[in-house]
Amino acid sequence: MGEAIFPRWIDKARPLLGAGLVLAPVYLVAVAYYGGSPRTTTVGYMPQQSIPFSHALHAGELGIDCRYCHTTVETAAHAAIPSTATCMNCHEQIGATAESLRPLRESAATGEPIRWIRVHDLPDFVFFDHSAHVARGVSCVSCHGRVDRMEEVYHVETLSMSWCLDCHRNPEPHLRPLDQVTVLDWVPTEDPEVLGARLRPDLNIDPSTDCSTCHR
Amino acid sequence: MPQSPDPKRHWRSLEELADTPHFRAFLEAEFPAADDPGGVSRRRWLQLMGASLALASVGGCYWEQRELLPAVDQPVDRLPGKPLHFATALDVAGAVQGLMVTSHDGRPIKIEGNGAHPLSLGATDAFAQASILSLYDPDRTRRVVRSADGRAPQSSTWDEFERFAREHFGALRDRGGEGLAVLAGASASPTLAAQRAGFLAAFPQARWYEYEPLSRDEEIAGARLVTGGALRTQLDLARARAVLTLDADLFAEHPAALRYARDFARSREVAGGRTSRLYAVEPTYTITGMAADHRLALRAAQVASFAQLLEWEVARLAGLAAADGADDSPAEDPEAPPAPPYDAAVAQLVRAAARDLWEHRGESVVAAGPRQPAAVHAAVHRLNAMLRNVGETVHYTEEPEGARPAHHEALAALVEALRGGTVETLLILGSNPLYNAPADLDFAAAFEQAKVRIHASLYRDETGRRCHWHLPEAHFLESWGDARSFDGTYSLVQPLIEPLFGGRTAIELLALLRGEAVPRPRELVRATFASIAGEVAPEELDLQALWRRTLHDGLLAGSAYPRQLPGLLAPHRPQPPPPTELDRGLPAGGEMELVFCRDRSVFDGRFANNGWLQETPDPLTKITWDNAALLSPATAAALGVEADTRVRLSYQGREVEMPVYILPGQAAGSVALPLGYGRTAAGTVGGDAEAGVPPVGANAYRLRTSEALAFGSGLTLVPTGTPYRLATTQDHHAIDTVGLRGRARRLGELIREAPLDEYLAHPDFARHVVHHPPLKSLWEEWSYEEGHRWGMSIDLSKCIGCNACVVACTAENNVPVVGRERVLMGREMHWIRVDRYFQGDPEEPAAACQPLTCHHCENAPCEQVCPVAATVHSREGLNDMVYNRCVGTRYCAINCPYKVRRFNYFHYFGDLDQPGNEVANMAFNPEVTVRGRGVMEKCTFCVQRIQNARIEARNRRRPLADGDIRTACQQACPAEAIEFGDLNDPASRVRTAHNDDRAYGMLAELNVKPRTAYLARIRNPNPELSDASDEHDRHPA
Repeated sequence: MGEAIFPRWIDKARPLLGAGLVLAPVYLVAVAYYGGSPRTTTVGYMPQQSIPFSHALHAGELGIDCRYCHTTVETAAHAAIPSTATCMNCHEQIGATAESLRPLRESAATGEPIRWIRVHDLPDFVFFDHSAHVARGVSCVSCHGRVDRMEEVYHVETLSMSWCLDCHRNPEPHLRPLDQVTVLDWVPTEDPEVLGARLRPDLNIDPSTDCSTCHR
Repeated sequence: MPQSPDPKRHWRSLEELADTPHFRAFLEAEFPAADDPGGVSRRRWLQLMGASLALASVGGCYWEQRELLPAVDQPVDRLPGKPLHFATALDVAGAVQGLMVTSHDGRPIKIEGNGAHPLSLGATDAFAQASILSLYDPDRTRRVVRSADGRAPQSSTWDEFERFAREHFGALRDRGGEGLAVLAGASASPTLAAQRAGFLAAFPQARWYEYEPLSRDEEIAGARLVTGGALRTQLDLARARAVLTLDADLFAEHPAALRYARDFARSREVAGGRTSRLYAVEPTYTITGMAADHRLALRAAQVASFAQLLEWEVARLAGLAAADGADDSPAEDPEAPPAPPYDAAVAQLVRAAARDLWEHRGESVVAAGPRQPAAVHAAVHRLNAMLRNVGETVHYTEEPEGARPAHHEALAALVEALRGGTVETLLILGSNPLYNAPADLDFAAAFEQAKVRIHASLYRDETGRRCHWHLPEAHFLESWGDARSFDGTYSLVQPLIEPLFGGRTAIELLALLRGEAVPRPRELVRATFASIAGEVAPEELDLQALWRRTLHDGLLAGSAYPRQLPGLLAPHRPQPPPPTELDRGLPAGGEMELVFCRDRSVFDGRFANNGWLQETPDPLTKITWDNAALLSPATAAALGVEADTRVRLSYQGREVEMPVYILPGQAAGSVALPLGYGRTAAGTVGGDAEAGVPPVGANAYRLRTSEALAFGSGLTLVPTGTPYRLATTQDHHAIDTVGLRGRARRLGELIREAPLDEYLAHPDFARHVVHHPPLKSLWEEWSYEEGHRWGMSIDLSKCIGCNACVVACTAENNVPVVGRERVLMGREMHWIRVDRYFQGDPEEPAAACQPLTCHHCENAPCEQVCPVAATVHSREGLNDMVYNRCVGTRYCAINCPYKVRRFNYFHYFGDLDQPGNEVANMAFNPEVTVRGRGVMEKCTFCVQRIQNARIEARNRRRPLADGDIRTACQQACPAEAIEFGDLNDPASRVRTAHNDDRAYGMLAELNVKPRTAYLARIRNPNPELSDASDEHDRHPA
């Protein structure tokens, strides 16, 4: 016999094993619950912005196209937040004295950027490219939801890896004609699967599920 | 002395060849060079890790809130996250490279060569690649520093300096600039030259001195000796069939090195059964020597005699030809006396080379390096004339530096003026004479004579710390400027970012001191541009359009200097040198020769604070973070010097202690000393005495005198016996003795090469080096019938081993720098390494190099052992590395036969989260994940470039074309040795390379199916020489 591996006082801890057996399922349930909860997946995340900008008003009621402000979505990886100058195009006349727009006017006057809080934030090791999706028939609504109905923007989808992969494995239901990409309330007149299958070759859709597609 | 039994056998290092006890110990240690892995017991470490994991999980529940700050007024063509490219130029000591810099959201992050520039051709060298790190170096001077005599330096401002300058320089102007002296480094900027002229006009009594520690002075003097004029030699190596270099590193140290490397690599393509041939005669191994077909190691002082002998031989051939009436050569006496008995190797080489050069007259080149005296350069001009190369492969243009005094003479004159007390105000622009002035001048003492000393530089260096005013200089990426490259091509330098630390350029400073209230550097450059454009393109009326085009293209078309056809002055009657001058034995009396070299990592010391360059292994010695006295094995044995010890070097009463490195192929009796180390005020990387950071390496400038700037005789070398381990990477990735024997046997299979005649007889020889039974895989094979199949090829006939790829990869892929201690433990992180092999006799070996990246095997051994699928195959054949899955078992690295996987033992970028490091953070490439501790990493074939090119192509509904994707190493390579592309595309360059006769897969017999094909190196030995030496070891056909 060699030396004992565990010290003798371990024997006293033996009754704890039973407690462990009871607690283990509770722990597992708790992990599953916490892991799937909106707080963890960020669904519903709605930070308060310095300007109470309403997408429901601008994109919904007024019908301004997404690309009027988010100019780069079709050409760059990032969907650019509009510059102060873009906002001032209209707000020099409209609501020129509104209290809620004071930060905007200050920005225009001082040259200091407006500080927006980021709503959709992927981890640093994920490299998402807007242009690869928007220029190829995937609508804004697929990831961001009905922004045209949001008073304040919030997180609709989980943006988790499995959620991304669902679409990369079966993209067809999410494809639409290019001219409808930013029409958030567009409803296909036929079965989305059939439409997607028809559009797919034209849009040159062949999504990869390789790790290096998003992780570099 | 270790002897290689077979002259064709390859070996990696002398230690390995000799199998010394030292090497055995290194091999068997689990943690080489680390006696105790950290001083913490394994159990204690586990406890600590358990605790920190618990803490980490508490903190890691939710990520931080982040802000988005859009522009207030978005510039038209700037899209967030979309890189832009700007043409500019880098001027290092007067040598210019045209660059194309990638800027990401207003931060320059990557430097590439400008494809349109005739001297860059899209490539860069390692220094240009690393200059991006210098831009973001937190050790750069951040503010104006003022120090009165005897008082501690104080932080100051430009305003304060301007007030001082108005008063001080105003008074000086009234006196005509009497007592004012300026010391500046070499520059190729016409605007700076114009400012200098303006400055001297405003201060007519002022004196201007130009000094560079590494200078082309002898080259200029040599041309003047022969032609009487100031002429610059331009070589056309693309057309040269036979090239002979005399102590000249054409492919690394020449101002046109990138162009020469490209032209030479092209000339190595075998066409019609012919390829070019290169002879190198040099005291110490260089990049050019490594590429040579025949190399002769001669002491630097003997090169002149060799040149003399070669001239005599060629003249004899020319004379014989004339006597035959075959053509109208310079009349030489056909009855010239036969050569006296020379050293056998010298006599053979010189005769064979002379005949070869003569046979290829009009298509040959002889070149000498800047270390050699003017007489050698003169001989080279005469040789090229005799060989009728002038106007064919050798061209002459004006030498813009022809009028200035030699650099060391200028500095000596300044010292004299300082000693004489005639200099009251000394303005130093970028130079660091307190570090790099010749030791005999005693610059430091003379320097104190000046009452007001002003220093403008990127760093508060050795000189800056002893000056009354130190001013931050702008980095070239922050500056307006211009530069003329070696061939005269005019480029504009444009700023890519506002000066990070409020630096100003020398141009601005001179304008300011001259009395201009608000110097506008762009306007100053514009003015020079207008005058040059007026000369080059007088018909161009729209100057604004031309300016914009020049800014965009990076060069002014047609601005190269026109070629000239000079006549030779006096006829010369060559005489053979006495044979004793070419004796290759050790010099009698133990008087060694010392040879000063430009360092391949830190240049003359100016890049000492650049971690990327410090960690890049030297191409020949594989030393990182150090310099060493290089001696040949025989010299070391004769002096009783052992490897891994320190020696004391004394020369003319001055002493320096430094480690030795035994370099095969070093000339007997010659000790090479790389300059640029031993900095005491470089910064926290290169050494900073004030901050308690010890210097990296030893300062060889302390032995350098005005009489022996390049080399000198009379060095004594005394072993001290103090052990010292150099952090060399050559023997890394050793396994154990069994593995070592296996590898030693296999080296000839890893790097395959053949002489031209063998290649012509058996074009597919490389495929028959290893024969193996048909390979069957236990795994399901991948199929790539559709889509892309990425692959790489590396042409060993073209690769010169210059390290540009290594630094380019570091810059592109955020590769960490680990420091000397960890390199000693074998933990360097480079994704691409260049293996160096020697072949044959350790005194006179041939050398070869082989870049190695991840081979992206189709049957990847790493993938098969990863327990968490952190390394997986992509459907395009990439071997993806998923950092977030990696748990750090390191099985993959152990199973990798190429040893290209690198493990993050520490959080190398950990401290960059801390405040104060914002500037250093700006150097990262945002397209690549910054890896943390505990994960494996390796070459990805620059997957970020693949993905971005693919997205771009698909968005535009066009297929990916060959050449759309270029990896960082490929793009930087001056020799075009690396090709990357789609192996499924039958027309792609990489497919063509894979189909080449010379293509072979390294370790393909392991059935790993490597994605990288090597193209075997074809050497082109002179049959006259190879028959003599190879007779006994040539395999029977």
